Amino acid sequence: MILEVKNLKKIYTTRFGGNHVQALSDVSFSVEEGEYVAVMGESGSGKTTLLNILASLDKPTSGDVVLEGKSMSSIKEREISKFRRDNLGFVFQDFNLLDTFSLKDNIFLPLVLSGKSYDEMDLRLKPIAKKLGITDILSKYPYEVSGGQKQRAAVARALITNPKLILADEPTGALDSHSSDDLLRLFKEINKEGQTIIMVTHSTKAASHAKRVLFIKDGEVFHQLYKGPMSDEEMYQKISDTLTIIATGGAKNE
Amino acid sequence: MSKIFYAKLALTNIKKNGKTYFPYIFAAISTIMMFYVMHFISINDGLNNMSGGDSLKIILYLGNYVIGLFSIIFLFYTNSFLIKRRKNEIGLYNILGMEKRHIAKVMFWETFFIASTSIILGLLSGILISKLMFLVLLKILGFEVPLGFIISKPSITITVILFGLIFILTLLNNLRQIHLSKPVELLKGGQVGEKEPKTKWIMTIIGIVCLSAGYYIALTTESPLTAIYLFFVAVILVIVGTYSLFTAGSIALLKILRKNKKFYYKTNNFINVSGMIYRMKQNAVGLSNICILSTCVLVMLSTTVSLYIGMEDVLRNRYPRDIAVRVDNVSDEMEEKLDNIIIKEAEKHNISIKDIIKYRSIEVTMFQKNNSFSLANRDIGNYSDISLLNIMPLESYNSQENKSINLEDNEVLLYAFRGEIKEDTVNILGNEFKVKEQLKDFNSEGILSAIAAKSYYIVVKDVETIEKLLFNVDIYGEKFENLSYYYAFDVEGEAKDEIALTYSLADKISEASLSGYAEGAEESRESFFALYGGLFFLGLFLGFLFIMATVLIMYYKQVSEGYDDKQRFEIMQKVGLSKEEVKKTIKSQVLMVFFLPLLMAIIHIAFAFKVITKLLAVLNLTNVTLFALCTVGTILVFAVFYGIVYSLTARVYYKLVS
Repeated sequence: MILEVKNLKKIYTTRFGGNHVQALSDVSFSVEEGEYVAVMGESGSGKTTLLNILASLDKPTSGDVVLEGKSMSSIKEREISKFRRDNLGFVFQDFNLLDTFSLKDNIFLPLVLSGKSYDEMDLRLKPIAKKLGITDILSKYPYEVSGGQKQRAAVARALITNPKLILADEPTGALDSHSSDDLLRLFKEINKEGQTIIMVTHSTKAASHAKRVLFIKDGEVFHQLYKGPMSDEEMYQKISDTLTIIATGGAKNE
Repeated sequence: MSKIFYAKLALTNIKKNGKTYFPYIFAAISTIMMFYVMHFISINDGLNNMSGGDSLKIILYLGNYVIGLFSIIFLFYTNSFLIKRRKNEIGLYNILGMEKRHIAKVMFWETFFIASTSIILGLLSGILISKLMFLVLLKILGFEVPLGFIISKPSITITVILFGLIFILTLLNNLRQIHLSKPVELLKGGQVGEKEPKTKWIMTIIGIVCLSAGYYIALTTESPLTAIYLFFVAVILVIVGTYSLFTAGSIALLKILRKNKKFYYKTNNFINVSGMIYRMKQNAVGLSNICILSTCVLVMLSTTVSLYIGMEDVLRNRYPRDIAVRVDNVSDEMEEKLDNIIIKEAEKHNISIKDIIKYRSIEVTMFQKNNSFSLANRDIGNYSDISLLNIMPLESYNSQENKSINLEDNEVLLYAFRGEIKEDTVNILGNEFKVKEQLKDFNSEGILSAIAAKSYYIVVKDVETIEKLLFNVDIYGEKFENLSYYYAFDVEGEAKDEIALTYSLADKISEASLSGYAEGAEESRESFFALYGGLFFLGLFLGFLFIMATVLIMYYKQVSEGYDDKQRFEIMQKVGLSKEEVKKTIKSQVLMVFFLPLLMAIIHIAFAFKVITKLLAVLNLTNVTLFALCTVGTILVFAVFYGIVYSLTARVYYKLVS
């Protein structure tokens, strides 16, 4: 088991203590090494909050996240950036590449922050760039390339640290359908090579590529689906059905 | 939609953008106030009555132009900051359905409110403070203070017209920008131009060449006369150099650093170098403005302060003796007569004479080439070769200096004032003399220190030598018949008697229709104070204005960068930069951007130091130590000021970024 999420609860309080908003009420699940998990849910269901807590960008009100036996709440504030850098890789919806760096330097950024030498960085980059098909555009700047290329560079940035876990937040959200397909295929390949991936998404299509789909509603894990031997298309159908149930039948349960 | 709607919207806009608009309004109020005060003082009738009032008025009048011109540039510049920040907001109005003419109406009301507020408040504070500033000026000049409170109508009119026009122009400029742009562009207004800047090698080289040329001139100019006109050449070269080095040179340097992989791929350098490349692209012009302004402030304050503080020195340099008389073409009998007149007049004015210097000599302007002097042509190319020769007989020198030196026919003693002769001979109109001794020290005539040209005192064996040398020669259409007579002395007595004595001696000279002059330190003191005190006042006044401008430009830099950098640092934190590291890198970048102009300004000053001392020497200030102290002092005060502004704006910046 690589990741264990225990009874996460998150309550946002407005600045002057007036309103309390419960984003997560009680979330527990675990992820095995080499898994590919999609987290689905409507807007406001708490999936972004969950991802932020997994990414150690935010702290839960109660509950804990354990990564490879290490409790995240035990990590000191000073070490949290290093922890994030060494263990987690991020892929964001809006790429989050810096315009002031070339793609290559953007990919190097986390390694430079860890103080790696240029030769080592270069050595690590070569196979990744080749796999992602961005070798030719490495010296370009983010504003000079397409959305799909940007997202591949961002994936390279996430992979280059050899993270234990890749966290993806709506990675296909800003891409056209062709680039989306490319990216999902890429994720599948990476996963096949043993990389654990957790992806938060709206898109049924994106989720249908994952091995397991968690559905979050009103701050709780509402349901989950295992893909097993199903094809992408079958999985797609199953997810749509579940979403329909959550949207209609789910409401009746309350 | 009613008219009131636009006006209301305009008011809310100003309030909502208070962080950028209030400093702008404050700056406008201050410039208006200062312009009114300067104009008020410069047309004040009270100045006409004082001696030297004319030169003071000219100085203050020039001050009007400087402030007026400065206000235009400054308000335009800050306004462009504001409008750039607001493009986003205006784009939103446009998309929400406001037509450009509606936006124009809103902008009109905004400008109207800002203009009327700042003009009214500026004039009010100007009127209040004008009295105070006038008192300060009179205090500086050492004059009695007249009572009364005056409001000057012409000053109000001119201020309203000038600043009304400036505001109308800024409005037109804003409208032009909005008219030309598309809504989508307006929405992105803050972010356009994020492309990486190109390295401009030619400009970098021009910058280096200009700056070194400017520095070279400043360091190698020896003669004060050349210094006067070369100084401006050097200033222009340095300004051009500063601008091109800040814009192109900085980027070239950073890119070279980036090419060095070992250096570049270190955590701090990585973020700083790449960040600075973009920062310099956006800020180069602003930074060079700050650099030039700071240099101006420093030069202005240090020179005017040291002139003012060194006033007594200056007076003593200019007037080595309290009263000096010089009469041309004086025969032996005449010499005796003059001595009597001076003593009699002194007695009449209750003044006792001491420390007398008197000698006879002949003064002639010549053209110097190394160690040989010839008569100057009318069309001399190089002003620095003009020299003033003061030739006197040994007898005069010995009795004056209480010495008993002997000279051969072909021997001379030489004293160089602002000049230099390296050879041990001099050649005057083809006659070769051997320099027996270069005098270290000589009671030279005060008026020489007011002349920028080089001067030499040459002591020859006797009057006959001078006669042979000069009396038969046609010198600029005239022939010398007799030597001149110089008589200078210190006095003991009341200042007003001393002044009266100076005037009556001058009267006696003109009564006897002799060519010559009589001058006194006390008599000139007032006009010296008027001139140097006026400069000092102007220096302080403009210094304050420029400092305010520097502060405001820096504030806007910080604010607009804070907005731009917010996103960058968010991303870096997501990728794994800790809060402390973010703070550290922000700090080093902001420090660099902030203190680079100051550092550059100090370097400029260091190089300019020598040439400025030469210029001050023309203004009779030869006390280099005093000037050095004043320079260091102003730099320190300015740096403290700068540091305070830095810490204040840095706080705003951190708030924006984190």
